[in-house]
Amino acid sequence: MNVLLVEDDRQVADFVVSELRAAGHSCVYTVDGEEGLQAATRSPFDVMVIDRMMPRMDGLTLINTLRQSGDNTPVLVLSALGDVDDRVQGLQCGADDYLVKPFAMAELLARLEVLHRRVSAPGADTQTRLVVGDLVMDLLRQHVQRGDTVIGLQPREYKLLEYLMHHAGQVVTRAMLLEHVWGYHFDPQTNVIDVHISRLRQKIDKDFDYPLLSTVRGAGYRLGAALAD
Amino acid sequence: MQVGEVVSSLTFRYIAKYVTVLSASVFLVLGAFYLFFSYTSFKELGESVVEELDTLQIVYRGQGLEGVEQYISDQTASPSVNRFFYLVTDASGAKVAGDLPAAPRYQEFEDGWLGFEMDLQSWGESVDVDFVALPVALGDGYRAIVASDYADIVERAELVFHTLFRVMVATLILGIIGGFFSASRALDQVELLNREISRIVRGGPGQRLKIEGEAGYFRALAIVMNQMLEQMETLMQGVRRVSDNIAHDLRTPLTRMRNDLSQLRDKDTPVEGRQLERLIEECDDLLSTFNALLRISALESGSRLATGSEVELGALLRDVVELYEPLAHEHGIALELDAPQPQRCKGEADLLFQMFANVLDNALKYTPDHGLIRVQLRAGEAGAGHSVIISDSGPGIPVVERKNVFRRFYRVESSRTEQPGHGLGLSLVQAIAQYHHGTVELRSNQPGLQVKVSLP
Repeated sequence: MNVLLVEDDRQVADFVVSELRAAGHSCVYTVDGEEGLQAATRSPFDVMVIDRMMPRMDGLTLINTLRQSGDNTPVLVLSALGDVDDRVQGLQCGADDYLVKPFAMAELLARLEVLHRRVSAPGADTQTRLVVGDLVMDLLRQHVQRGDTVIGLQPREYKLLEYLMHHAGQVVTRAMLLEHVWGYHFDPQTNVIDVHISRLRQKIDKDFDYPLLSTVRGAGYRLGAALAD
Repeated sequence: MQVGEVVSSLTFRYIAKYVTVLSASVFLVLGAFYLFFSYTSFKELGESVVEELDTLQIVYRGQGLEGVEQYISDQTASPSVNRFFYLVTDASGAKVAGDLPAAPRYQEFEDGWLGFEMDLQSWGESVDVDFVALPVALGDGYRAIVASDYADIVERAELVFHTLFRVMVATLILGIIGGFFSASRALDQVELLNREISRIVRGGPGQRLKIEGEAGYFRALAIVMNQMLEQMETLMQGVRRVSDNIAHDLRTPLTRMRNDLSQLRDKDTPVEGRQLERLIEECDDLLSTFNALLRISALESGSRLATGSEVELGALLRDVVELYEPLAHEHGIALELDAPQPQRCKGEADLLFQMFANVLDNALKYTPDHGLIRVQLRAGEAGAGHSVIISDSGPGIPVVERKNVFRRFYRVESSRTEQPGHGLGLSLVQAIAQYHHGTVELRSNQPGLQVKVSLP
């Protein structure tokens, strides 16, 4: 994954760059909005990580400029401004995701991969059948089965599994699940998501040959034949 | 105290303006009085002259020229001070009777009035006196002039003028003296206030202005300033308590992390994954503590909700309950939702969700296994607004602690060790409720705790 990072805080930037490279991605780093714009127009990137408040050109203006020039590279906004209004403002001006500082690197990585996958595998949204290993979800009939066993799911469990299957093979964080499966941005004090996951695991993994849903420590969960990867 | 200070003081300038206005009005009133007095005096004089002329005409008509001569000599013989002077001339202009010279140099005024100066013998001295006179035709070519001096009127007018001038001067002097005194009194009080405030600035918190002297603006000012100091002190204490608590609550995990890290450094064996995981988890905990702290500050310091979208509380509560239901189920706790009808309220769904999630989270933490938690949505008590009541069957919170638990980092002593958490949950609940112009109330559920969130 080829990432453009536009961030004026050098410490944050150094950390993000080294972590991205450690995770096997290439990364170009610029310190302000104008340089970021130049870099973005010079060569294509898979995803961009853009800070909001920067000298010379702020992040939202940068994203606006990119979008108006027809550049639809997925953008994740990284900002200390975390109010609902700030988030809405960010998404309205063309950003695809919004992450509030301070953030965990695992969260950033997971979100970037999801953004990247969305572009590199288009048409995922129009699929009518999701398949992960021997787990099959029929989106039209809202029917799930693993192997020959039909699995009955509660509506929320179904949504949870659907999201996981859409992002099969990727790390999905708890915050991402809350945002997309429950539809709320909030910060749970306890491991409330873990309980939902373990319930789902009971239904799709228990009594089967190999587990599909694995926990990624310090990050989140991954659906897929993780051990086989 | 410098005179310059007094002159430049606001009170003095106020008094100066006051004196100016006062003297102007005194001048106007007295001037009007002076003009009125002179006017009526001259009017009376004129009327008496006209009357005398009428008498002369009547005498002439009745007794002829001799009668007039007789009348004039009778009148001029009397020693009255304010007597009239007469002149009767024939057709050729020659004097026939009277005590005025034949042709004094007249000055003509309007309406036929004449004025002239004449020397009079008074007390053996020659005095230059001003006269007014009016001529009239008696008939047969005879003309009469009656004149009267007005020295007395001028004298009285001058007297009045001087009196008025003295009154004005006295008013000005008294006004300025009064202004000086009240200005210096006010300055004294400002000076005193200045000294008192400097003392407080030097002395640090806990000091108050001395409230003494009679009731007045300065006393009221001192009382208000003391109230302000009181409030500032409470706020400062709050800040200090919060920072103390932050230091206390963060020192423990940081120390633990430090020890773990130094152990890892000293060890020759390769780093154990589990140990690292625990370190990362502790870091995450610290981060989430700071995040919560920042969120509370942002909510408390920012402006309150102005234009939120509509949120259906029933659906929102269903989502919260559904999220926590598996957790409750794990502990055998019954989680009941009672939201009979939809209720719409203005708000931000994410924040409201966070608020109810925090309350429910607490309820789940403190309710023993196989307990009961009930979430009720009701219309507000006054018929308007909404109230959400979340009751549990846990140990509850003692009455004395109920106010404290909303403080940042405050934790009921027994829970400090028993339950995980950073002691910010209820602070955030309160901040979110207040952001929505609502309130949070803790009550007893007998046994257990009832959290009542009222929203407008």
